[in-house]
Amino acid sequence: ADLVLRSSDTHPDGYPTVEAVKYMGKLVEERTDGRIGIEVFHSAQLGEEKDTIEQTRFGVIDMNRVSLGPFNNLIEETRVPSLPYIFRSVEHMHKVMDGEIGQDILDAFEEHGLIGLAFYDGGARSFYNSKKPITSKEDLAGMKFRVMQSDLFVDMVDALGANATPMPYGEVYSSIQTGVIDGAENNWPSFESSGHYEVAGYYTLDEHLIVPEVLVISKTSWDKLSPEDQEILRQAAKESVPYMRKLWAEREAASEAKVREAGVEIISDIDKTPFIEAMEPVYEKHVTSEKLKDLVERIRAVE
Amino acid sequence: MEIYILFGTFVFLLLIGTPVAFCLGVSSLATALYMGMPPLIVFQRLNSGVSVFALMAIPFFIYAGVLMVRGDIARRLVALAGSWVGSFRGGLGQVNIVASVLFGGVSGSAAADASAIGGLMIPQMKDKGYDVDYAVNVTVVSSIIALMLPPSHNLIIYSISGGGRISIADLFTAGIIPGLILALSLMIAAWFVAKRRDYPTDPFPGFRIMGSLFVSAVPGLILIAIIFGGVRSGVFTASESSCVAVVYALLVTVLAYRSLSWAAFVEATFAAVRTTAMVLLVIGCAAAFGWLLAFLRVPASLVAFLQGVSENPLIILLMINIVLLILGTFMDMSPLIVITTPIFLPVAMAFGVDPVHFGIIMILNLGIGLCTPPVGAVLFVGCAVGQIPVWQVVRTIWPFYLAAIATLLLVTYVPALSLWLPQLFR
Amino acid sequence: MLKVARVLGVVSRISLWISATGLVLMTAFIAWQVFGRFVLNNSPTWTEPASLLLMGWFIFLGAAVGIREGYHLSFDVLLYVIPLKAKSVLRTVSDLVVAGFGFGMAWYGADLAMKTWDSTMPSLGLPDGVSLIALSCGGVLIVVFSTERIARRMAGLPTAHFGETELPKD
Ligand code: NA
Ligand code: NA
Repeated sequence: ADLVLRSSDTHPDGYPTVEAVKYMGKLVEERTDGRIGIEVFHSAQLGEEKDTIEQTRFGVIDMNRVSLGPFNNLIEETRVPSLPYIFRSVEHMHKVMDGEIGQDILDAFEEHGLIGLAFYDGGARSFYNSKKPITSKEDLAGMKFRVMQSDLFVDMVDALGANATPMPYGEVYSSIQTGVIDGAENNWPSFESSGHYEVAGYYTLDEHLIVPEVLVISKTSWDKLSPEDQEILRQAAKESVPYMRKLWAEREAASEAKVREAGVEIISDIDKTPFIEAMEPVYEKHVTSEKLKDLVERIRAVE
Repeated sequence: MEIYILFGTFVFLLLIGTPVAFCLGVSSLATALYMGMPPLIVFQRLNSGVSVFALMAIPFFIYAGVLMVRGDIARRLVALAGSWVGSFRGGLGQVNIVASVLFGGVSGSAAADASAIGGLMIPQMKDKGYDVDYAVNVTVVSSIIALMLPPSHNLIIYSISGGGRISIADLFTAGIIPGLILALSLMIAAWFVAKRRDYPTDPFPGFRIMGSLFVSAVPGLILIAIIFGGVRSGVFTASESSCVAVVYALLVTVLAYRSLSWAAFVEATFAAVRTTAMVLLVIGCAAAFGWLLAFLRVPASLVAFLQGVSENPLIILLMINIVLLILGTFMDMSPLIVITTPIFLPVAMAFGVDPVHFGIIMILNLGIGLCTPPVGAVLFVGCAVGQIPVWQVVRTIWPFYLAAIATLLLVTYVPALSLWLPQLFR
Repeated sequence: MLKVARVLGVVSRISLWISATGLVLMTAFIAWQVFGRFVLNNSPTWTEPASLLLMGWFIFLGAAVGIREGYHLSFDVLLYVIPLKAKSVLRTVSDLVVAGFGFGMAWYGADLAMKTWDSTMPSLGLPDGVSLIALSCGGVLIVVFSTERIARRMAGLPTAHFGETELPKD
């Protein structure tokens, strides 16, 4: 292609998000008669998410597939889909993000030098630990869980009565093994691929976070494209979403099968109501403006 | 053209004696400018390259090492070790290697091992009449052992970079035998060099002196027990253990030995700052250089070339090893794992290599790269601790390179060395 | 020239003191983190980002002092085999290049700090850009100390050479 857009992803080659952006690239190349292509730099080759977001904002790289977490302090609106228990289910999340609310959040990226193209899935995150089956909120009391270094997630774990212990992802395995922490939280594929299921034998499907991921393009690169090409990119990005979701569902099923086969105890029938009620102070602290309160109400109103 | 600018500027600056960190930084900057990129990308990589929590173990272990040396802990520990194996040929070299096996089981990090054991042993080896280059050679190459033993963070990075389908428990177990073989072959190399240079051996001191040296070294031995026991029993993580080592070394030298004055404490802290700042600036600038290599698709082009050459798995493995060794001379370990695993692992697996086995090959190979110029974090730590120019160390390091590369070939072509133990535990 | 060199000696000493204080504080923070989890059963979350922030300061200030004291590692094999005059020219070229990079650190460090001022660090609540001030300050000092090296060489004063390990006495 004459113009190759460089796109960053922290996931390894073959991961659903990486494959989805490659698929989008194929569509774009077909529809522009080979004028525009996309090259995916997977496995964090160009840096971690926080850094590649800056690189995209400054126009060093063209596109980026990232989680919403690193945007939380920069773009207010991205905080709402990152709130614990905001979505009732993955289906609920799809409905919200594919609709008007999702588009409003994508539009919020523009004033920060980015154009939001599409939302991908990040799976549903749940707690796992090495000590005991967690069936109620009381079971969490005093347990130590590793969370990502983010005020929101630390507050969430504290509000549930457990102790949040931020630490680098690479140290989690040995820390669970040696008892430095009791557990961590993640989705099926990461629970499996990190090997954490080898040391944490209990997985409680409370699905506290169902956080979508986002595909953005640098405004600098975007403004160089003709309106026709911009439309082709937008359309191809939208079409890559169902493709990504299909790959994700396959991967989730394969991971779940492997974890179950390894003999991990899965706790799925829990009453989430006390967990959700415990989030009231967290919402109070992090849903700070009328705009965000309104977004929360709109998401809850979606059937 | 971009690649010629990157490497050309780098080599030119290296030759005229510009500090290595700036060779990396300036050649990256020149390339970014030529490509019309905003130059700030280079400085972002530099800043992010040093803002890594796991790197914190380096200043802490350097600091703990300096305190142990100035506060008399090191001298007592090595006196004890000397009473055990000092009467063997190349005694302190052998102790240095065995110490890396013990410390490796605690830190899992080569740079931390080189700074801790190097800070402990290099000055003592100097005192006992060993040449500084020999002391640094042994320290630097034996620190690779730490990478092979659990809790090695690099093995976890490998597992995640490989698409996360490789069991970390298996990787941890797989590294143990190759790590011990490496220790053994380095001990042979240390013996060989010691014999050729005719290093003096100490007479056997007798059991009474051994006993009193043991008692005098107990606080130092407790430090090893605290780090080892602390990590094993789960009181703290590997990164935190390095900080605990500093605090403990301070307590022992100030309270128990009363050997550290305020002025000596200030000087020890300054010394630790100097060494750390130098090493971490190289790591930061290497992050910028590595980013450009990835951006310019250098590793990918190398692989494309490789695949066109042969279809024999033995030759492919040999070539992968050679390419990794070459890349390892220029780049740091963790970015290389992250960049090359997704490219090389599928190739290796297509030729029937077990991913656990391949991980051990890769870690050992890139570990050797940490000890080679022009970019070798561990080599720099060793040279800084030994206060000796890099070229002087590299001139005489070849017996240890040979031992490490012989081990690498053995580990590469005898998969059972890596795979037997994990299968036993399954 | 000697007067300027003496002032810069003080600047370098102050930087070293700041860096050393940073290292000691970093030790205290992580020790507090271990103590918090082990004894109080409650992990402070600010210790990790705060220590990283300090590490940035002592790396970049310490690196700048290294320019003055000449303790950065290099491979000056070529410099051993060429005539003294050419050696001095190459060393000046090298100092100019380092000064140029230091200028980049100062300028683009400040630029990056401003561009990332609107996002916040987790736990600490400080702007992300704060971590880049150290890069910028280190850059300024690198420019100053590299210029001093060139000036000293022209004035015939001794300059610490990279790759050699004795520090200059003044
Ligand atoms: Na050693
Ligand atoms: Na190297």
